[in-house]
Amino acid sequence: MRVTAFTQLITVLAVTAVVFILPVQAVSFILVLELALLLYIKHDRMTMAAIGALTVFTGMMILLQLLFQSSLEVAMIGGLRMLVMTMAFLCLLAATRIQDIAQALVERFHMPCEYAFMLTTALRFVPDFLTDSSATLDAQSCRGYSNRGNVFKRMYSYLVVIKPLVMRAVAKSDTLALSMELKGFGANTYKNMKKQELGIGDYLVLTVVIILSTYKFWVKYL
Amino acid sequence: MSNYAVEFKNFHYAYNGGELVLKDINVSVKEGSFTVLLGPSGAGKTTMCKAMAGIIPYYYGGRYAGSVEVLGEDTKGRRVSDIAMHLGLMLEDYESQLVSLTAGEEVSFSLLNHGFPPEEVEEPTKKALEDVGLPGRENYQLDELSGGQRQRLLLASVLAVHPRVLVLDEPVSAMDPEGSVSLYKLLYKIHQKYNMTVIVVEHNLDYVLPYVTDMIVLQDGGVVASGSFEEAAAAAYEDRELRRILPALWQVKLNLEKRDGIHLGMWRNTKDAIVELKEKYGRAEL
Ligand SMILES: Nc1ncnc2c1ncn2[C@@H]1O[C@H](COP(=O)(O)OP(=O)(O)OP(=O)(O)O)[C@@H](O)[C@H]1O
Ligand SMILES: [Mg+2]
Repeated sequence: MRVTAFTQLITVLAVTAVVFILPVQAVSFILVLELALLLYIKHDRMTMAAIGALTVFTGMMILLQLLFQSSLEVAMIGGLRMLVMTMAFLCLLAATRIQDIAQALVERFHMPCEYAFMLTTALRFVPDFLTDSSATLDAQSCRGYSNRGNVFKRMYSYLVVIKPLVMRAVAKSDTLALSMELKGFGANTYKNMKKQELGIGDYLVLTVVIILSTYKFWVKYL
Repeated sequence: MSNYAVEFKNFHYAYNGGELVLKDINVSVKEGSFTVLLGPSGAGKTTMCKAMAGIIPYYYGGRYAGSVEVLGEDTKGRRVSDIAMHLGLMLEDYESQLVSLTAGEEVSFSLLNHGFPPEEVEEPTKKALEDVGLPGRENYQLDELSGGQRQRLLLASVLAVHPRVLVLDEPVSAMDPEGSVSLYKLLYKIHQKYNMTVIVVEHNLDYVLPYVTDMIVLQDGGVVASGSFEEAAAAAYEDRELRRILPALWQVKLNLEKRDGIHLGMWRNTKDAIVELKEKYGRAEL
């Protein structure tokens, strides 16, 4: 049973809202579900690293809250909520191709195609940019760049890496824009793709999402 | 309709706020030819390629005069992507021209943009990938392809709409000699198969020598020689600076022709040269 990107997006958005309404036990349950789902979809090193990083980050958030004199309980619940929210996005990214998310955003949410396409290009060019930056760092190190000294001195000397990097990025984005122009990018780009039709799976998931997000409401009246 | 693939008429161009980069260009490229565009760095070769695709002046602005015609139609006032259906352009930095995440999407991108329904796009996509030697790679992620393969993928995406003219700006500048030779072999195959006009900017004429039919030599924004490769090479040989960018083999040939007042044939490789030299001089020590 396949679920379209649209439903997944709605689910993620619903989860981020619902964590503030549902009781702690339910939120923890969602977390367990998310973890299981994530590990079911993808269990490579990247996913593990992402989960690890998120956990550490959450721990730091909790500590920070404690420093600002929240009670342990409030801090823990805050951390849990954040973890569930970010984990939901992680699930989304693991389960769906970014192209499908972009398409759903254009088709269902009427996002302008330029913005939606930015998601794809970002994913496409981030690795290139990382390669570029390490190459530039190497090149400038050969010419005497070093990251010694105090913070300000370091930041100042780092400019010699930033400048060529920005120049390169600008040149590249110019070429990219030209290429998109040549290939006729525009409103048609998403219009002509295969439509993402909703299936039984989608309706099922959407129903569950609706029931959960109106929990506060019907628990009062039933 | 004229039988010129591209025709420049009194074309002048200056980038925004700059001085003239192209000066009074009057030159035409015959349909079905394999034309090389030659010239020292900064001569305006890339600018000329962009003018053929209509990017100049549409995209860059700047001042211009005269006209550029592609397959007999003026590029003025037409959309860049519509011209691209007839004239495909591949710029130098091929990595940045790939806009999608998978090979199949990349090739079908321009077809979809031009309003072909998804069902009709699959077949040409498959075929374009086969044409460039990447059969069955539709679902490959871009980072699963090597640099050379990515370049071929870009070529496939340009070819997918079946342009009549193909323009390439220094396609092998970032490639090892072996890859360069095989890319030109591929270009020649496509040129033959579809009777496609190919215009290529190339510094190293040795790569194109086996296939070339015509040449345009550009210097300081003006055309100094054009026409069949033999004529243009002879004209370029008269200039001391341009002489040096001709292939070594042709420098020998043109030198002999001048010294002995003879006419030698179209030397496509060393073998041609040796055969003819044996015939004319009875020996061949190059
Ligand atoms: N975007 C631009 N804006 C302003 N001037 C430009 C721009 N691009 C190129 N020029 C100028 O136009 C002239 C011709 O450049 P062009 O890139 O066409 O040369 P080229 O023959 O392709 O050189 P190369 O062999 O180095 O690629 C150069 O003097 C250059 O400074
Ligand atoms: Mg150039």
